[in-house]
Amino acid sequence: MNRRLALGIVTILSAALLAGCGAKKVADNNEGAAAGSGNSGNTAAGSENGVAGGNAAEEKTYQFASDASYAPMEFLDKDELKGFDIDFLAAVMKEAGLKYEIRNVAWDAMLESVKQGTEFQAGVSSISITPERGETYDFSMPYFESKNVIMVKEGSDITSGLDLKDKKVALQGGTTADILMTKIMGEGNTDLKKFDSNAVALLELGQGGADAVVADIAIVRDYIKNNPGKKYKEVMDDVNFNPEYYGLAYPKGSELKARLDPAIKAVIENGTYADIYKKWFDEAPDTTHLLETK
Amino acid sequence: MASAHRPIIQVTNVSKRFGKHEVLSDISLDVAPREVLVVIGPSGSGKSTLLRCLNLLEQPSGGEIVIDGKPLLAKETNIVAVRAELGMVFQQFNLFPHLKVLDNITLGPVRVRKWPAAKARDKALELLRKVGLEDKAGAYPASLSGGQAQRVAIARALAMEPKIMLFDEPTSALDPEMVGEVLAVMKRLAKEGMTMVVVTHEMGFAREVGDRVLFMEQGRIIEQGEPKALFERPQQERTRAFLSKVL
Amino acid sequence: MDFRFDIVRDYLPLLLRGTVYTVCISLASIALGSILGLGVGLGKMSRYWFLRWPMHAYINFFRGTPLLVQIYMVHFGLIPLLYGKTDAIAAAVTALSLNAAAYTAEIYRAGIQSIDKGQTEAALSIGMTPWQAMRSVVLPQAVRRMIPAFGNEFIVLLKDSSLVALIAAPEIMYWSSAMKNQYIRVWEPYLTAALIYFILTYTLNKLLVLLERKVA
Repeated sequence: MNRRLALGIVTILSAALLAGCGAKKVADNNEGAAAGSGNSGNTAAGSENGVAGGNAAEEKTYQFASDASYAPMEFLDKDELKGFDIDFLAAVMKEAGLKYEIRNVAWDAMLESVKQGTEFQAGVSSISITPERGETYDFSMPYFESKNVIMVKEGSDITSGLDLKDKKVALQGGTTADILMTKIMGEGNTDLKKFDSNAVALLELGQGGADAVVADIAIVRDYIKNNPGKKYKEVMDDVNFNPEYYGLAYPKGSELKARLDPAIKAVIENGTYADIYKKWFDEAPDTTHLLETK
Repeated sequence: MASAHRPIIQVTNVSKRFGKHEVLSDISLDVAPREVLVVIGPSGSGKSTLLRCLNLLEQPSGGEIVIDGKPLLAKETNIVAVRAELGMVFQQFNLFPHLKVLDNITLGPVRVRKWPAAKARDKALELLRKVGLEDKAGAYPASLSGGQAQRVAIARALAMEPKIMLFDEPTSALDPEMVGEVLAVMKRLAKEGMTMVVVTHEMGFAREVGDRVLFMEQGRIIEQGEPKALFERPQQERTRAFLSKVL
Repeated sequence: MDFRFDIVRDYLPLLLRGTVYTVCISLASIALGSILGLGVGLGKMSRYWFLRWPMHAYINFFRGTPLLVQIYMVHFGLIPLLYGKTDAIAAAVTALSLNAAAYTAEIYRAGIQSIDKGQTEAALSIGMTPWQAMRSVVLPQAVRRMIPAFGNEFIVLLKDSSLVALIAAPEIMYWSSAMKNQYIRVWEPYLTAALIYFILTYTLNKLLVLLERKVA
């Protein structure tokens, strides 16, 4: 009888802990994540989801896919797609004079349907351009330079990407941070923890499961700004963290590359790009790399 | 009364209700050591419930039961220890199907009495010999006939060396040709001086082996007495009516 | 369909290492879950409301909420609370065990209640305590009847363990996901993962059939 009673008490306690503590931690994080994407403000004008510009009636409507889970690049505001990529694409398509529609599709489904090219003719979703991916997709010219930084607890002795080699690092899988850190820490290293989203990676750091998070600078700064009580700091490493570039992904042999690359170039050169960049990141972009990289 | 000793079972004003239905009302009876008490009555008369109250498989709703000087319903009484002194044989045998015959019998002595395995084994084999099933020690219950299973069940109860044996319609689930072998074992047990309370429909057994027969109907004791007297000169109309149906 | 076997070959060592994790996590969880589940199941059948009620709540909670939520709650809530910092493997095993306990508790209950009451009565009549009767008489019989349901639960758990990839436990789905992200190709990682899971569950199924035949 006693044994049963003891077991019962232990189980009740653990259930109570789960309900109480677990829920609180998750709630904290949601607050952080929401605030992180909070600089969206009122952006309705620049980012209609439907048909943009374009007067060529005979032309087809191109279908774009985006996985809207990477604020502030692309995210859902209620049921509306918003973010840098969304505004940028609108500007490019207007410049090219093409009709298009953009829809929110989960990452995996987006990859496969863009590869096939029938349902969607392109993906715009902060997709990093890499040689391996180039084997399956055609990429547009780079349109965004991604800069990764390290986020650690204040007082940490980590000063560069190489210091992370023997540490536990949390990040979002499939991002440029993932590509960089996999190179540094080695493929198959289980101390490099790849999560589904940056929000979860940040939580992992918060709960002691990792020593550092590597993520896009915009995400890290947002998080630090919104969570001053957690005492995090950002560590820059321009030497080891080569810039990575985002591109639009097309199926192999897509006609779109030839049609959109000039438009992308024009949008960057005519200042529209800088306006959009400023709207989302509150600073002016350095576009020199974009224009010289091929 | 067969004996002038202090009663080994004393039941005083026991009642039992299932919800609103009263199964036993105000039952009082004594059983002397070495006495064989046979309880008869129509189905639903409460005789099995009465038997099951004696080792608290059913909890009485009221009254008092004293077994060998221990008041069963008192808080300080260790009911588990009292049960070990009361062997019980069930209508459906209730052998443990996952254990061999021998292990069915040694389970109680080993687990409850903490006997060494060898001692329990010797005792079990001795009992199997007694019930004529020595060759079945290694068999599983599923391979036994009903009569054999019930004899093993009796051996299992006896292995605990109980002071009292309770039989709950031990032959009711048996094919007619197997009733005799079980009754024979019970008769021998009675002859050896075991205190027994037997709920049964076997009137021949009651008459031959019982020291006293008790007739129950609708949760009450209607009449009791020596078998010969009760069977030949029942005092109550209801006893007469019942006996005329079963005899 | 163009299927690139070369990238599957590249990732195979990692996927196999992930398979070892998947198997170990699942085995540990079904074992712990079964032990815990017995307590929960017995508690739910108890005569005492203060045991019955919390176990009832426990079962309802773990069966009524998504496993993924439970995994996150354990990984980011319970484990840091107990050990100061979180750990993916510990969280994976804990969450899956707690979840499995709720399901096995019901298997135990159904199994135990399927055993005739006469068995308990016979055990009590030879002087056993209720716990002895349960352990020596009822459970051994009930467990045999529970084997198919347990096997089923084990297979479900093995497949559900794929969710712990989301807290970066380095098992099969985790490496499939890494492979997907490197090449941004979907079919190669997922079909390979599916094949590995299928081989695992198929083997498990065969083993269970053998076990059932042996015990029955």
